[in-house]
Amino acid sequence: MKKLMVGAIALMASSAAVAEAPGGPNCGWGNMLFQGQSGIVPHFLASTTNGTSGNATFGMTSGTNGCSTSGTLTYGGKKMVNVMLDELSADVAMGEGEALTAVAVAYGVSAEDQASFAQLANRHFDTLFPSENVTADDVLARLESLMKDDATLSKYVS
Amino acid sequence: MRRFFPLAALACWLAALTATPAASAQTAWAQAEAQSLWAHDTWRRLLHYKPAPGNDRWRSDADDPRFFLAPDGADDPRAEMAATLAAFAAPASAGDEHAQCRFVARLTWLKSQLDLGALPQPDCAAYRDFRALVQADRAVLVFPAYYLNSPSSMFGHTLLRLDAGEQDGGGEYLSFAVNFGALVDANDNGLFYAFRGLTGGYPGQFEVDHYYQKIRDYNRDENRDIWEYRLNLTAAETDRLIQHLWELKGINFAYYFFDENCSYRVLELLEVARPGVTLTADFPLTAIPIDTIRAVQQAGMVTGRRFRPAQGTVLQAQLAALPRDLRRQVQTLSEDPSQLQRTPLQALDRGDQAAVVSTAYRYLRFTQTRARAQRNPDAARRSLALLRELKPRADALPPDWGVPPAGVPPDLSHGSRRVSVGVGREAASNVLHLGFRMALHSLAENGDGFPFGAQINLGNLDLRVDEQDDLSVERFDVVDILSLSPRDRFFKPLSWAVQTGVERQWVDEAVHHVAQVNGGVGATLAVTSGLRVYGLLAARLEHNHGFDSPLQPALGVRSGVLGTWGPLTLRAEAGSERFANGRTRSRWQWQQNLALARHHALQLQVDGHDQRAPGRVAVSLRYHWYY
Repeated sequence: MKKLMVGAIALMASSAAVAEAPGGPNCGWGNMLFQGQSGIVPHFLASTTNGTSGNATFGMTSGTNGCSTSGTLTYGGKKMVNVMLDELSADVAMGEGEALTAVAVAYGVSAEDQASFAQLANRHFDTLFPSENVTADDVLARLESLMKDDATLSKYVS
Repeated sequence: MRRFFPLAALACWLAALTATPAASAQTAWAQAEAQSLWAHDTWRRLLHYKPAPGNDRWRSDADDPRFFLAPDGADDPRAEMAATLAAFAAPASAGDEHAQCRFVARLTWLKSQLDLGALPQPDCAAYRDFRALVQADRAVLVFPAYYLNSPSSMFGHTLLRLDAGEQDGGGEYLSFAVNFGALVDANDNGLFYAFRGLTGGYPGQFEVDHYYQKIRDYNRDENRDIWEYRLNLTAAETDRLIQHLWELKGINFAYYFFDENCSYRVLELLEVARPGVTLTADFPLTAIPIDTIRAVQQAGMVTGRRFRPAQGTVLQAQLAALPRDLRRQVQTLSEDPSQLQRTPLQALDRGDQAAVVSTAYRYLRFTQTRARAQRNPDAARRSLALLRELKPRADALPPDWGVPPAGVPPDLSHGSRRVSVGVGREAASNVLHLGFRMALHSLAENGDGFPFGAQINLGNLDLRVDEQDDLSVERFDVVDILSLSPRDRFFKPLSWAVQTGVERQWVDEAVHHVAQVNGGVGATLAVTSGLRVYGLLAARLEHNHGFDSPLQPALGVRSGVLGTWGPLTLRAEAGSERFANGRTRSRWQWQQNLALARHHALQLQVDGHDQRAPGRVAVSLRYHWYY
């Protein structure tokens, strides 16, 4: 029962965090977990030039896709989680991996605290990924809420 | 020169009295004139000037008026320098559009060469933001490996990665990747697209994006291994590179597939970063990506390499590490994760369970990689269920679980170009063979550094001289691609072939030079890791004067084996085809290759053809030298 209570409180805390999720309502971090991947296109005649359609990205000096940048993670960090959500979920399940490390680095977690960060995420896998319909924004909000309650890691999200 | 000199002299004199920015610019120009500074190698590199036809004439590769401050700056290095110095002294109010804000590397270099005096101080907010974002003090040259399914990538690709922070500290995902690519029009149809790409019809531009995007594009979506070559650029050299990169923002270059391509432009960036080094001089006609990496190695700029496997490579390694009877469970589990609670999976120890679950998860994600794939809610549910099972068992996995062997790195393969000389015997006559191939690799050759089962040739010419001293073409392949990826329970790739060129063919025992294009689709099976058998359905269009009506389509089959044992490689193939005019043709070929050293090989070839007489068989022994 006590466990259930703690779980319920954690869930409430995280849904509260979801409500004020970094990014804003029309922001592009709504990718659900396990998107279909576009790839292995036998585009024999369809590409000869390593091309990109439209404007070439050049860093991201202006414009942030309508996303607020007030969260603790930079635009690049959020976009990375949005793009690499699958890889992150697998790393969190394993308790290690490059995507997980990269998220720690994006939060500015120092090398000596990265193991704590990985353990925290791994321990709370079910909180971070409660369903397959969780979005990148949800995951980040839940992660930040967990970090705030962690003695070692709270300093990175304050 | 005369036009400017009195003015400059006057300016010198004036400058002593009034140190206005305009006067300082005149002083600086006088200094530049005195040493013909526009002929300096660094100026040529910064403006991408290349020798043009005529005496001391130059032309910039940048195909964009926004890159030049003088109206004729694209082909007049001197006028461009004069205009640049004048523009640097313009009033600061232009802000981000001020020449000092746009041409930062030019400014830094000219400052180091000339006394520019007290310049106006424009507010370069956009550049400041860019530098706040793109922070780096070292660089990595990145090679996404050969990808036969896309002509742009069949020779590989190169890009640069700019790193900051601790080495191997995990920040690579957030590093910035610098990529030169064509800006294509997605509305163009395939053939037109290919034509424009080959002939410079699309503008190329530099793109700066996070490295995780490249990992997703190459490792995951295109399933290509990536090799990373760490460079020894200093912080100052990296800074110069980023300064110049900013100057190239939005600047168009004509994109040519063969020479002025992604890899060539990356070399140019490195030449700007390190002024003493010459890298592009070796690539006047073609810049094959792996050759440009070797050029950077030879210039002493590479300090290490790292392998970043594709998702399919990792999956293959995990499958290979599983005991054979467990491999069958991978599919079962990926379709129904609850099978873990039933026999036989339930009976396994935690380590084996973890290995099967991990592989099933990888496999399930791999199957969700499709062209224009929609999210599959059921596959997503199963994926999460597998991760939930993996989590409590992850500690039981072996420490190096899922780490595939890197194999021979692509920079250690045989050279891209090949020169051949050989002797042969055909129709009771001795034959001398002479060959040259522009690029890159045939199935029968030493496969170190190449994907096994991939053949990618461009511009392969084989000449023959017979006993009557008649010189003729044995064959000329314009394009010759063959992709033999094996199929099994988990991977279902098609094998395919495309080839076009000129070759000798026989009709009723008479020889003809025919122009032909052919293609095929089929399947390959791996008997062992080094032995494959394949079969293709083939279609062919041939122009042959031995036929009453020369242009004839044909349908046929071809089948063969490919094997490798240390330095020895074998490829044997037999095929038969039937033309629309009712004629049939059967052929077989045996190729045996012995690698003597990395760049040297001996190849024995026996060809059979049912229309050739007498004996129907030709034999040759060739020596291949690669460079």
